[in-house]
Amino acid sequence: MPKLRLVTILLLSGLLVLAVAPALAGHGIMEKVKEANEPFDSLQIDTPLPKNTVQVKEEYQGGAFWVLSRKDSIGRFPCSRCHGKKKSFKREGAALAHGDIELVHGQGEERPECKSCHNEKNLDLLSDKKDREIDFDHSYQLCGQCHFRQKSDWVGGAHGKRHTYWIGKRVVWNCATCHDPHSPRFKKRWPSTYSLPLDK
Amino acid sequence: MKCDRRTFVKGMGLTVAAGGAALSAGCSSMPSSGEEMKLRFHEYFKENYRLMTQLEKEQTVERLARLAKLNHDIDVQVGTQEPLEQVLYGYAFNVSRCEGFMDCVTACVKENNLDRNSKTQYIRIFEMEHGETDVGSGDGKYFHEVPVPDHYYMGVQCFHCESAPCIKACPTKATWREPDGIVVVDYDWCIGCRYCMAACPYWGRRFNWGEPHVPRAEITKKQHYLGNRLRNKGEMEKCTFCIQRSRNGKLPACVDACPTGSRVFGNLLDPDSEIRFVLKNKKVFRMKEELGTDPKFWYFID
Ligand code: HEC
Ligand code: HEC
Ligand code: HEC
Ligand code: HEC
Repeated sequence: MPKLRLVTILLLSGLLVLAVAPALAGHGIMEKVKEANEPFDSLQIDTPLPKNTVQVKEEYQGGAFWVLSRKDSIGRFPCSRCHGKKKSFKREGAALAHGDIELVHGQGEERPECKSCHNEKNLDLLSDKKDREIDFDHSYQLCGQCHFRQKSDWVGGAHGKRHTYWIGKRVVWNCATCHDPHSPRFKKRWPSTYSLPLDK
Repeated sequence: MKCDRRTFVKGMGLTVAAGGAALSAGCSSMPSSGEEMKLRFHEYFKENYRLMTQLEKEQTVERLARLAKLNHDIDVQVGTQEPLEQVLYGYAFNVSRCEGFMDCVTACVKENNLDRNSKTQYIRIFEMEHGETDVGSGDGKYFHEVPVPDHYYMGVQCFHCESAPCIKACPTKATWREPDGIVVVDYDWCIGCRYCMAACPYWGRRFNWGEPHVPRAEITKKQHYLGNRLRNKGEMEKCTFCIQRSRNGKLPACVDACPTGSRVFGNLLDPDSEIRFVLKNKKVFRMKEELGTDPKFWYFID
């Protein structure tokens, strides 16, 4: 009985209403999100495509999307400048020409080597496990062969990042924009600033 | 520097008393011209932004731009872009991906014209030990090479709560939630009581204890009335999801600057958006969810 009286008093004084957060009363943000299923016109704002972009060869939940290209950023591209028809893979030459490339990519049996990724027949292209030829601008296809989860998160939007705009044509960074394929882990570094203690 | 509202009124009083002769008394830099005086006069008596007509909005931003020219000799554009239809902004932060580089903080300070003297920052990154979940125990002022093994990083900023305690605490209705979900401050209606600051359980608000200073060459000129326009001493401010950018389709500066892709921003009402993908497919949580503040800011792990 005393319990019930307390509730009545609370109700009358409006305290109970305060205590029940709107989130619990069914008007919270989660309910709003769940109810919002109408398609949204992302193309209502016409955002410019950066010039170094290519269309991704698959779709995300919202349709077509674009990715920052890579070929224009690869210093030694096209590889065929040096890698012509004659196949004389001499090790010393490689040390001279690609001595800067050190593979620190995973450990154990599964870890990739040069030919897991580069197409021996034509070095201007990459190739995956199934010897599928892949353009350097679409190297996400190569990475995705071994990193399935990261790839599908990247397509959906939980791995990697969008370029400049949240609306308009969706443009994202390539895997290789962030990861050096030969040494994909992010390097340690100093933070770009620091914070003062919070004032009271 | 500029005169705040209080000193200005004092100055006005003097003007009346001394018949306009003693203008320079009472404020370190009183309006130097009749034009400036007039602009300030109109600025002082204008409405709360929410009650302004379109014309009044246009007039005030024109005055603000002119004042910036007179006071700082720079050409700013103060926008009044309205919310986009069918848009409600949401934010998600990947705690398993952030490396603590703090490029977000640097970009935010620059974009939002934050006071350099007091080193004001809207974003705080806490270095947390694995297994630790209470930000209170994290280190918010680390400065060493990152990431540190066995630690993770957690960014905290204004969460733009749907049920925001700061809004309820404001006695002058100087802070409110816009239709696109952004919690904003009308700096000119803020009386500096700091009730909102005390009411926020997330350390989301920042107060200008002194006259804010931004080197002239570093002032971001693309501004919004409710966003990064220049503030004065005694005014409250905070993250606005970079309203001057987001309402023009751009990602907030912190999201744009993040080199690791730990920050996801977008439209909660768009079922195909990235933020919706995260909410649907990832383990998400919100800070102090039990308070019922209903933040539009989620943390997630892979
Ligand atoms: C400046 C000339 C030059 C360019 C440009 C060049 N390479 Fe090479 N590369 C060499 C030489 C020289 C060797 C070693 C001799 C050989 O095998 O022909 C080599 C060897 C290699 C090898 C074999 C390494 C090994 O350890 O077995 C690979 C793989 C390779 N290059 C990939 C590439 C790719 C991919 C590109 C383009 C992105 C490229 N190279 C561009 C000169 C070049
Ligand atoms: C032939 C398979 C294969 C391909 C192709 C491949 N990886 Fe990996 N990667 C691995 C393996 C194996 C590991 C180690 C995974 C583990 O330890 O769980 C790894 C690890 C990683 C890591 C974690 C860091 C590390 O060194 O352990 C990153 C990041 C990564 N890969 C990125 C990429 C990117 C980006 C690409 C495309 C350019 C790519 N990978 C292509 C097999 C591959
Ligand atoms: C995991 C896949 C992978 C492996 C293993 C790999 N590469 Fe690469 N490599 C790539 C990709 C992808 C690029 C293009 C990078 C980009 O987009 O910046 C590349 C680029 C290059 C380049 C051009 C780099 C530049 O900036 O000019 C050379 C040279 C090269 N690789 C040689 C090698 C050699 C030699 C090996 C073996 C020691 C090797 N790669 C192993 C995927 C791989
Ligand atoms: C915006 C930058 C960015 C892009 C784009 C990106 N990644 Fe990553 N990725 C990261 C960061 C940061 C980590 C954290 C790991 C670290 O310390 O290096 C990571 C981690 C990984 C790992 C290690 C396992 C894990 O989940 O932590 C793999 C594998 C990986 N990424 C693959 C990919 C692939 C495949 C793509 C393209 C489909 C891609 N990444 C695109 C930033 C990026």
